[in-house]
Amino acid sequence: MFCYQCEQTQHIDAVAGCHSLKGTCGKDAVTSDLQDILIHAVKGLAQVSHRARALGVTDAEVDDFIHHALFTTLTNVNFNPVRIELLIRQAVALRDGLGGKAAAMAPVAVPPGPARYEPPATHAEMLAEAASFGVRAGVETVGEDVIGLRVLVLYGMKGVAAYYHHATVLGFRDPAIDAGIARILSDLAGDPSDIAELLALALDTGTLNLKVMELLDAANTGTYGTPEPTVVRMTPVPGKAILVSGHDLGDLARILEQTRDTGILVYTHGELLPANAYPALKAHPHLAGNFGGAWQDQQSDFAAFPGPVVLTSNCLIEPQRSYKGRVFTAGPVGWPGVRHIDNGDFSPVIQAAKASPGFGQNVGGGGDGERTITIGFARDAVMGVAGTVIDAVKSGAIRRFFLIGGCDGAAPGRNYYTEVAEAAPADTVMLTLGCGKFRINDQDHGTIGGTADGIPRLLDLGQCNDAYSAIKIAMALADAFECGVNDLPLSLMVSWFEQKATAVLLTMLALGIKGIHLGPTLPAFLTPTLLAVLQERLDLRANGEAAADVARALGQAA
Amino acid sequence: MWPGRSDRRPDMNGANATVEFGVTLKTRDGRSVAFACGPEERMLDAAERQDLYPPAQCGEGSCGACLAYVVSGEVEREPSGPSALPDRERAKGGVLLCRCRPLSDVELSAPYDAAMIRFEPEPERDAVIEAIEVLSAPMRRLVLRLGPGRDGGTGVDFEPGQYLELTVPGTDLTRAYSIASTPNWDGRVELLIRLQPGGRFGTWLNETAAPGMRLVARGPRGAFVLRDRGLDPRWFVAGGSGLAPVLSMLRRMAEWGDPQPARLFYGTWRPDEQVCQDELTTLQSSLPGLEIVRTVANPGTEPGAEPNPSWAAGTGSVVNALSASLEAASRQGEPLPDIYVCGSSGMVEAIRAAAVKAGLPEDRVFHEQCGGAVG
Repeated sequence: MFCYQCEQTQHIDAVAGCHSLKGTCGKDAVTSDLQDILIHAVKGLAQVSHRARALGVTDAEVDDFIHHALFTTLTNVNFNPVRIELLIRQAVALRDGLGGKAAAMAPVAVPPGPARYEPPATHAEMLAEAASFGVRAGVETVGEDVIGLRVLVLYGMKGVAAYYHHATVLGFRDPAIDAGIARILSDLAGDPSDIAELLALALDTGTLNLKVMELLDAANTGTYGTPEPTVVRMTPVPGKAILVSGHDLGDLARILEQTRDTGILVYTHGELLPANAYPALKAHPHLAGNFGGAWQDQQSDFAAFPGPVVLTSNCLIEPQRSYKGRVFTAGPVGWPGVRHIDNGDFSPVIQAAKASPGFGQNVGGGGDGERTITIGFARDAVMGVAGTVIDAVKSGAIRRFFLIGGCDGAAPGRNYYTEVAEAAPADTVMLTLGCGKFRINDQDHGTIGGTADGIPRLLDLGQCNDAYSAIKIAMALADAFECGVNDLPLSLMVSWFEQKATAVLLTMLALGIKGIHLGPTLPAFLTPTLLAVLQERLDLRANGEAAADVARALGQAA
Repeated sequence: MWPGRSDRRPDMNGANATVEFGVTLKTRDGRSVAFACGPEERMLDAAERQDLYPPAQCGEGSCGACLAYVVSGEVEREPSGPSALPDRERAKGGVLLCRCRPLSDVELSAPYDAAMIRFEPEPERDAVIEAIEVLSAPMRRLVLRLGPGRDGGTGVDFEPGQYLELTVPGTDLTRAYSIASTPNWDGRVELLIRLQPGGRFGTWLNETAAPGMRLVARGPRGAFVLRDRGLDPRWFVAGGSGLAPVLSMLRRMAEWGDPQPARLFYGTWRPDEQVCQDELTTLQSSLPGLEIVRTVANPGTEPGAEPNPSWAAGTGSVVNALSASLEAASRQGEPLPDIYVCGSSGMVEAIRAAAVKAGLPEDRVFHEQCGGAVG
C-alpha cells in the first residue's frame, strides 16, 4: 500500500506516506490497494460517461455510483475489502453497460487507460496488479510535482464526491455537476503531465466544489430549514439511547422518524452536533442533544455510550471489541464484521437500543450536572444581525474575526487551534466550522463588549460541510464593507485532515482567497515547488506559534 | 502499550528478586500489545494479570487456542498435547502461551487480529436452558437464554465461529461448545452438542438437564472467525458437531447478505448423524447460491444404525469430496476458495493437506478442532 491522502499520514522514514501493513487510520494494505484499483476503475467509468454525455447519453445510476464509490475511499470511511472489491466489479459492469448505450447512438472509441481495465477473476490476481494503479505510479517518469498535482486534483475530487453525495441523498442533484465530475475524472484518467494543465484542473475542481457546496447548502436548508441559534444539551438524560455520528442529516432524520414514540432518545456525535440547530430536526422532542466530542474521541465515547452507535459517513476509526457489536454503518461507511444498513431501515438499530441498558436514572442530567452549548450561527443567523456586526466592526468593538475551521484530530500539533482561541483577545470573534470546534466550544468565551445581549464571541457555523456558509458570510461582509474578501479583518485558521478539506482549499484557491493558515502540518503530497506556487498565488501559510500568528494577524509585533 | 522491561531489585533480604522480561505479541493485522512476564510465569497468566486476554481456552496445553509463534527471543516450552502443538507448528516457532515461559525479551506473532484480544475480564453470564432437542442419537441442540450482561444489556455479541464455556453451577463440570446461532439482541444462544460415550456433560445433559435450569456461560472465546478479505468463494467443511460454528458463519452470511459464493461440505459417519437439515434448507433459500455437499463415511453400516432410505448424498470422506471440488475448480479456472474447517484434528490436518495440494496457500485455510483448538 501507499497512501498519503490525510494529514496524519506516516512520516517515519524518508518517504512521507503510509506504506506498511496498515495505515495510521487503520486501513489495511489489502483495502488500500483495492481502493487504488477502485479509483482506477472509476476513472475508466468517468471516461466513458464523459464521452457518452457528449452523445446525449446519461445514466443517473452511473453518476450516483461515481460519487458514492469515491466517497468510500476517503479517510476513515470504508475499511471493508469485500465492499471495495464489489464496487470495482460494479464500476466495470456499469462502464460496459453505459458504453453499450453510447455505442448504440454513435460509434465510440474506447479511450486508452482506465476505460479498458478488466479486473482479473480472483482476489489475489487483482491485488497483484495494484501497484500499477497506485497514486505514485509513474513518478520515475513524470516527477514528484506532476504526481503531487494529480493527487491534489484526485483528493479534491474525493471531497467533491463526498459533499455531492450528501446533497444527492437528500434528492438534490445538478446535471452540470455530474458532467463536471465525469469531465475532471476523465481528464485525470489521461494521466496529464503538464503542470499548467494540472493547475487548471485543480482550479476547475475548486470551482466545481463551490457549486457542489452551494447545492449541499440548499439541500440541507431546503430539507430541514435554516439553522438557528440553539441551546444544545451536552449531557445525557435517563433512557434508552441511540448515538448518530458522521455528517449525514438524512440518516439522522430517518432515525428520528423511526424512533418516534418509541421512548428511545437520539443523540448526535461529532460532526452531527450542528444538526441540533435545524428546525425540522430539532422539532423531534427525542433529539436529546449531543454526546461526546470530536471523531478522534470516539473509542472512549462509544465505549461509554450505553446503546447502539450509527456511523453515517466519515470519520470511523477501528471499533473496539467492547462496543463493536453495537456499531452500525450506513451509506458509504464500512468496517469488516460491523453491521451495515444500506436501505434506510434502522429497525436493527432500534432493536439494539431496546436491548441495551441506556442511561440510568443517576446519569449526570438535571441540576448541576447539566451542560449546554449554543450552536446554529449559520449564514442566515449571522447575516440576520449583519447590521449589528458591521456597526461593531466600524466602531472598533470587533477588531477581527478568526475562522477556526476544519477537522480535529489527536495530534498534539492541533493544540495550535486551542491556543489561537486562547490568544484571541476579547474584541475578536471566533467563527468555528467542523469538528475542530470541540477544542474550544465547552468554554464561555463571553460576548463582544461583555454585555449579556452582545454578539457571542464564539459563533459556530456548522459542519465542515457548511464551509459554503462561511464563504457566503465572508462575501456578504465584503459587500457590506465595499472591499474584497482578502481585505476583511478576517483570519482563516484552517485545520485540515482529509480530502473534503482539500476540496475546500481548492475552492478558496479558485476564489482567490488568500492568507490561509493551513495546519497542523502541510499536506505530504505538496512538493516544495507546489507549495511555492500556492504560497505565491494564495499566500498559503504554515502554522507558526499560535500567539505570534494571532498577534501578527492583529497587526501587532509578535 | 509497551510497559517496558522492569527489573525489580531485591529487597534487603534478597527476597522478591524478580526480573521481568518484555513480551510483545504482534497480531495478524499489524497491531501489537505488550506485557511483562517473569521467567517463572506462564505468558498467558502474565498477560491476563495485566488485563490482556488473548484467545485461550483450556489453559493446560490441550486445546491449542493460545497458539503464537516466536519471532525473536528465547522461551521455555512445557509439555503440551500433540494435537494442540503439532511438530509442524513447533518447527515454525509455535508456542502455547499457557505452556510457555520467557527466557529473554520475546517477540511473538499471533495468528489472529488485534480485535480478538480483550482488555477486560471475560464476560460471565447466567444462562437459562430454554430447550434441549434430540437431533440424532448422539446429537443434541441446547438452546440457552443468557441473562443481562455486565452493562445490563440483553444482547449476545460474538463473532460467528466462537464458542462459549459452560459450567454446571455447584460442580466442576465445565465444557466449551461452539455457538451455532448468530449474535442477537435477545440473548438466545444455540449450541450443538455431541454426547461422548461416558462423557460427564453429555450424561448430565441427557439425564439431568431440563428447561428452566441454569448454567454459567463464559465467553465468547476463540479466533476461528470469518475473514472479510474479498470476493473469493468461502468453502466450509464441517465434520460431525463441527457443523455448529460453520452454521453460525453461514447464518451470518445470510443475515448480512455477504456476496461471496458459499459451499458447505458436511461429513458424518452415518446418515442419521446428518442433523439440522431443515436449517440448512432454510439457509439455501436465504443465502442464494449456497451449495451443500453431504457425505457419510459409512452409510448405514455401523452396528445398530438403520440405513436412511432417503439418503441420496455422497458416501465416503468429506476430504475426498473437498479435494474433488478443488480439482474441478482449478481445472475450470475458477477462483480457489478460502476454506473454513471444523472437525477432528485428523480431519483438519487432512483438509489442510488437500488444500495445499490443490495449490491453496496455507494461510487461506482457517480451522478449529472440535473441542476448541484454533490454528
